[in-house]
Amino acid sequence: MDDMKVNQNPKLGSIDRPNSYIGRSLPRENAKKHLDGGGQFVDDLVLPRMLHVAFLRSPFAHAEIKSINVDEAKKSSGVFDVYTAKEIDEFCKPWVGTLGHLGEMRSPEQTPLAKKTARWQGEPIAVVIANNRAQAEDALELIEVDWVEKDAQVDMETALDENAVIIHPELGNNLFWTRTVNQGDVVKAFEESHEVVETTLDFARHTGVTLESRGIVADWNKAETKMTIYHNGQAPHMMQHIIAKHLDVNEGLVRIVSRDVGGSFGIKVHVYPDEMAVAAISKKLGRPIKFIADRLESFTTDIHARCHKISGKLGVDKEGKILAMEINDLSGIGPFSMYPRTSAIETNQVLNLSGAPYIIPNYKAVGTVVFQNKTPMCQYRAVGHPIAVAITEALIDKAATKIGLTLDKIRKINFIPDNAYPNKCPSGVPLEDLSHQASMDKLLGMMNIAEIEKQKEDDLAKGVLTGYGVIAMCEVTNPSPLFYGVGGAHISSQDGASIRLEGSGAIHLSSSITEQGQGTEAIMKQIAADQLGVSMDTVRVTLGDTDATPYGGGTWASRGAGIGGEAVLKAARTLKNNILDIAAAIMQTNKDTLDIENNVVIRKNGEEGISLQKLAETVYYRGHEIPKGTNPELLATASFLIEGIPFVFTNSAMGCHVSIDQDTGIVKINKFWAVEDCGTQINPKLVEEQIKGGVVQGIGGALFEECVYDDQGNMQNATMADYLVPMAYEMPDIIVDHVTTNSGRSIIGAKGAGEAGTGGAPAVIMNAINNALGKVGSEVTSQPITPEKILKSLNKI
Amino acid sequence: MSIKNSANISLSVNGESFDNVTVPTRQHLADFLRSQGLTGTHLGCEQGACGACTIEMDGKAVRSCLILASQANGSLITTVEGFDDEVMEKVKINFLKHNAFQCGFCSPGMLMTTKEIISSKKKLSRDEIRSEISGNYCRCTGYQSIVDAIEESINEIN
Amino acid sequence: MKAPDFSYYEAKSLSDAIKFKSQDDEAVILAGGQSLLPALNMRLSSPSCLIDISKLKDLSEIKLDDNSIYIGALATHNQVMDNSIIKENFPSLIEILKMVAHPAIRNKGTHGGSIAYGDPAAELPAFAVANNAKFILSGLNGNRTVEANDFYLGLFETDIQPDEILVGINYPLLKSNEKIVFEEVCRRHGDYAMAGLIAKVQINQSVIENIILVFFATGDRPNLTFNTSELVVKNGYDYSSLKKSLSSEIDFAGDLNSSPPMKLHLATILIGKILKKLEN
Repeated sequence: MDDMKVNQNPKLGSIDRPNSYIGRSLPRENAKKHLDGGGQFVDDLVLPRMLHVAFLRSPFAHAEIKSINVDEAKKSSGVFDVYTAKEIDEFCKPWVGTLGHLGEMRSPEQTPLAKKTARWQGEPIAVVIANNRAQAEDALELIEVDWVEKDAQVDMETALDENAVIIHPELGNNLFWTRTVNQGDVVKAFEESHEVVETTLDFARHTGVTLESRGIVADWNKAETKMTIYHNGQAPHMMQHIIAKHLDVNEGLVRIVSRDVGGSFGIKVHVYPDEMAVAAISKKLGRPIKFIADRLESFTTDIHARCHKISGKLGVDKEGKILAMEINDLSGIGPFSMYPRTSAIETNQVLNLSGAPYIIPNYKAVGTVVFQNKTPMCQYRAVGHPIAVAITEALIDKAATKIGLTLDKIRKINFIPDNAYPNKCPSGVPLEDLSHQASMDKLLGMMNIAEIEKQKEDDLAKGVLTGYGVIAMCEVTNPSPLFYGVGGAHISSQDGASIRLEGSGAIHLSSSITEQGQGTEAIMKQIAADQLGVSMDTVRVTLGDTDATPYGGGTWASRGAGIGGEAVLKAARTLKNNILDIAAAIMQTNKDTLDIENNVVIRKNGEEGISLQKLAETVYYRGHEIPKGTNPELLATASFLIEGIPFVFTNSAMGCHVSIDQDTGIVKINKFWAVEDCGTQINPKLVEEQIKGGVVQGIGGALFEECVYDDQGNMQNATMADYLVPMAYEMPDIIVDHVTTNSGRSIIGAKGAGEAGTGGAPAVIMNAINNALGKVGSEVTSQPITPEKILKSLNKI
Repeated sequence: MSIKNSANISLSVNGESFDNVTVPTRQHLADFLRSQGLTGTHLGCEQGACGACTIEMDGKAVRSCLILASQANGSLITTVEGFDDEVMEKVKINFLKHNAFQCGFCSPGMLMTTKEIISSKKKLSRDEIRSEISGNYCRCTGYQSIVDAIEESINEIN
Repeated sequence: MKAPDFSYYEAKSLSDAIKFKSQDDEAVILAGGQSLLPALNMRLSSPSCLIDISKLKDLSEIKLDDNSIYIGALATHNQVMDNSIIKENFPSLIEILKMVAHPAIRNKGTHGGSIAYGDPAAELPAFAVANNAKFILSGLNGNRTVEANDFYLGLFETDIQPDEILVGINYPLLKSNEKIVFEEVCRRHGDYAMAGLIAKVQINQSVIENIILVFFATGDRPNLTFNTSELVVKNGYDYSSLKKSLSSEIDFAGDLNSSPPMKLHLATILIGKILKKLEN
C-alpha cells in the first residue's frame, strides 16, 4: 500500500495500522464485474410475462389534442393494448412540482400523459404495450391524432411580454417563480465605487446525456399487493414515497431497487411522467412492464438545464476591494416545474452562490423563472454553479483589468480569509471550514503564471492567441433538511448505515446511499473495514434496495461520502465497541486492553485474543458459553444528518490555458488545473476522478453542448451525432491537487467532491478565452463558446 | 427464392455455438446478443455514434447496433464476456488500477477498442490513444484515466 | 429506436442483386450498413427489403493497372487504408480516411457505400470529384461508366438508376507532378466537417500550374470550383478576392455548426491552409 496516495485525517486513527484504508487510493475490486460484462443495468433485467412500452409523443411544442384514435394500433402485431390519459389517470394521481419554503411558486397539476393539450415536444400522450419494443413502435405509427397546432412560447426573454403565448391560462402569465436577495445597499455602494464593471452572459440549455438512458421495470404483484420497481434512479426512498402516494399503494409495500446505473449526474433523480405511466400500467395489468428511453427520446425528455441570461455589475474601490455586486438572472424552464424538487432550485443556487468566495458587503440578486413550451428543466450536476461562478469570475476579471490588478491579486484581496470562518456568502448562506487563500496559492504554484504571461506575448507576436484564467468557487455538498425537507418534500436528509458480523466472520454493511459509478460501495467498504479493523475483502455491501437498506436520501448534491460515510463510521465504531465488550467478557479481561486488527481481537500488547469468526460462532451457536449479562449484539445501526446549516461547502480554485485558432475559431484547452478542498478524502483516486470527469462535463457546457431549438419549439439536434458531447480527442489532461480542511460537522470530516469540476470549468474557460480575446479587443459572452461565436467576435464573419 | 421477415442464423459467440436460431430480420446484432443473455454489450444510441455496443466480429471491432443479426450468419463473435485471454486480463488489471471506468456502461465498448489498439502493436502517444478512442463516449471519467490505462497496457504488452 | 419491419435477402451474385433490386423499387442495397442502419433504427426509412451484397467478395478487390487504381465498391475503409497498392500509390487517400468516423465504423463502412450515398459533408465524394474518378455502375443492361463530376445531382441525389449498383471506382494514377492535399475543419475528431477541401495540384518547380479545388460540407454536393481555382493559380492566396469568388461559385448551405457566412469564411481559409501544406 506504500505507493498509494494517502490523505490523512488524524481523528480516524494512525495510517500505520494494518487496516488503515481511509485516505488510500485503493482500486474498486467490487466494480471489476463491469470489465467482464457483469453489470446489471435495468435493461438487462428480464422478468416472466414482462411487456414493453413505447410512447407516442407530441411532435409539437404546443398543440391541442382534439382526438386520439388507437383502434388500428391495438390490432397491430404483438400489441397487448394502447392507453391514453383516460386509462392511466385511473391508476395514477397527478402531481405538482412546488415546495413551500421558497416563496410563491406556481405550477399546474401534471399527469403522466397529456390530456387535451401537449405543451412540449416530446410530451407523452399515448402508450403502446406490446411483446417487444419494436412491435410497440410499429403500433405507434398507427395511432391517429387530430392535432391543432398552437403558437408556442419558446423564447424566455419574451415569456412575460404582453403578447406572449400564455401556456397556462389559469395562471394568467408565464411566471413560475421569482426571488430577490437584498443585502446592504447596492445603490449607495455603486455610487461610492471607484470603478464599476458590467456584463451580460447567456448560457444555452443543455442536458445530461447519460450513456445508459432512463429506464424502469415496474412489477405490481397483485397477490402480495406489492409494487417492486427496478429503477436506475438516485433516490430510491424518495421514489418509494412518490409511487405509494400517486399510485395509492401502501408505502411499506413499495420496493424500489436501483442496481447498476450507467451514469446519472442528477438526470435520474427526478420524477418523469413516462416512468409514472409505466408504474400505473403495471398496477392495472398486474404484470411487469419495462420502459427504456431510447436515445432520441432521451434528448427531448430527460430534463434539460442551465438556460440562463444573467446580467451582472460589480463595484470596486481604488484598491480593488469589492463594495457591491448585483445580478439579474432570467431562466426559462419547461411548461411544468419538475417534481418533487422543483425547477426553481437552479436559479435559487445562482442567487445563493454568486460571489460566494468573496467579502461582498452589498449584494442584490434577482431571479426570474418562466415557463416555456420546451422540455422541462431541473437539477443537473453542479446545479446553478456554472452560472453563479461564471458571472462572478467574469466581473472580477473585468474589474482587475480596469483597476490594473493581476487576476490572482484581485481575488486574493477579496477572499474571505481562511481563518475567518464561520462566515457567510454575500447572499447570507452560512460558510464554514473553507480555504480559498491556500487553494489559490496552491493553484498558482502549479500554473506558473509568469511563464504563461511571457509565452502569451511570444504567441501573439506569431499571430497565435492564447490566454489563461483562474477562478475560485464554492460547491454545495452535504445538504441538510433545509434544502428540500423543509419545503414539504419527502426527501430524506438523514442517512443510515447498518452493519453486522455474521457467523462466518464476514461483515455485511448496508447504506441508504446509492451508487452510480462514483465509488459509493468502495468508500463505504473502506470506512467500515478501517474503523472495524478487518480486511477489505471481509466486507460486502448492499445498496439501492429499500427493502434491504436503512432509510435515507440516496445520492445527489454530493452527499454520499460526507453524510452516508459518517453513518457508516458511526455504525462501525458501535459494532467494534460491541465486539470488544463480548471479547472482554469471553477473555475475562478489561475492554481497554483490546483492539481489532486483521479480523482478530488482539490484546494491545500484541498477544492474540480471539478471531472475529470464533467470536461470532460463540455468540450465534454457543451462546451458553458467554458470561451471563453480556447481552451480545453483533448488529449496529447509525444515522447522520447535517444540522443547523443548509449545506456543507467545499471550495476549489481552477485554472486553464487556452489557444484560439483565429482562422477557424476553434479553442484548444492546452492545460487545466484544479485544486480541490473537500476535507477528508476517503479514496483520493476516486475524488480525483470526480474532479476530472466533472471538468470534462463542464467543458462540454462551455464549448460544445446545447439543445438547439427552432422558433416552433422543435429541438433540432436531438441525436447522438448532432448534439456534441465531449469525446476523448479534444479533452485535455487535467492536473488535480488538494488542500485539506476537514468539515467540523462530522468525525470523518469528508465533504462532497462530485460537482466542483462541472461548476467551475465553464467559468475558467470563458475567462481564459476572454483573456486571449482581450489582446485583440474582443470578447465572448455566450456559452457554448462555439467556433462561430469566436469568429464573430473576431469580426471574421 | 423465398424471403421472410425472419432468418435462420448459425454463429459462434465467445466459443459457444448458436445453431439455426430464428431471428427477426430487423433485429440488430446487439439486440440478438442481449436477447441471448449476453447483456455485457450495451446500447447507448443505436446510431453508431457512442461506441457502447462495439464488439469483435470476425476479428474486427464493429458497432453491433449497425449490423443485422441476419448478417452475422457464419460469423465468429467475441463480446466483453469473452475477453479473457492473457492480453485482455492485463488490460483489465490496468483499467482497474487507473479507475478507467466509473459506471461501467462504456467499458465493454471501450475494452473492445482497446483490444484493437493493442493488436495493432503500434506504440501510440497519448494524443494518438485519444484519437483511437474518440469514437467511444464516456460521460463519467473525462477519458484521462482511460488513456492512462491504455498507455500502460501498450507499454506493458507491446 | 427499433427499425421497422423489412425482409432480408442475401444476394448470391451481383446479377442476382441487380435482378432483385430492379424488381422491387422499395428494396435497398445493404453494403456496409453504417449509414443505412442508423436511418432504419431512427425510422427515417422503411424499405420493403434489404438486399445484402456485403458478402460478394469479388466486389471488394483493389487493383492497380497501367494508369489507374481500381477500388471495388465493397472494400471497407480499413481495407483501403491497409492496402499496399493504396499505401504506395495513393497515400493521400489514407490520410483522408483517417478523418472518416472512427475505426469500428471504418471496419464495416465501404468505399462504394460512401461514394454512392453522396453525403455532401463526406470526404470521399469530394475526393472522387477532385481526382476525376470514374464510377462503374452495373445494371440490367450491363455496365455503365459515369464521371464523378457528373454523378452528384443534388442533395443525396445521384445518377444511380433504379436497377443499378455501384461496383467499382477507377482513380487515375497521379502523375509525377501531381499531388493531392486536403484540409478540413471539424468540431470533434471524426465528426462531419464544418467545411473541407480536397485539392489536386499540378506543380512544376514549386509553381502551381493547375489546381482542382473541391469543397465538401459546403453545399448540397461536392463543390468543384473554376474561377476560384484560376485565381489561385494566377495570384496565390488572397483572402478577399478568393472569398468573393467562392461566394459567387458556391451556394453555401448552413448546418447546425456553421452558418453560410461561416462556411464561406472557412472555405476561404482552407485554401490558405492547403497552400501552406504544399509549401512544406
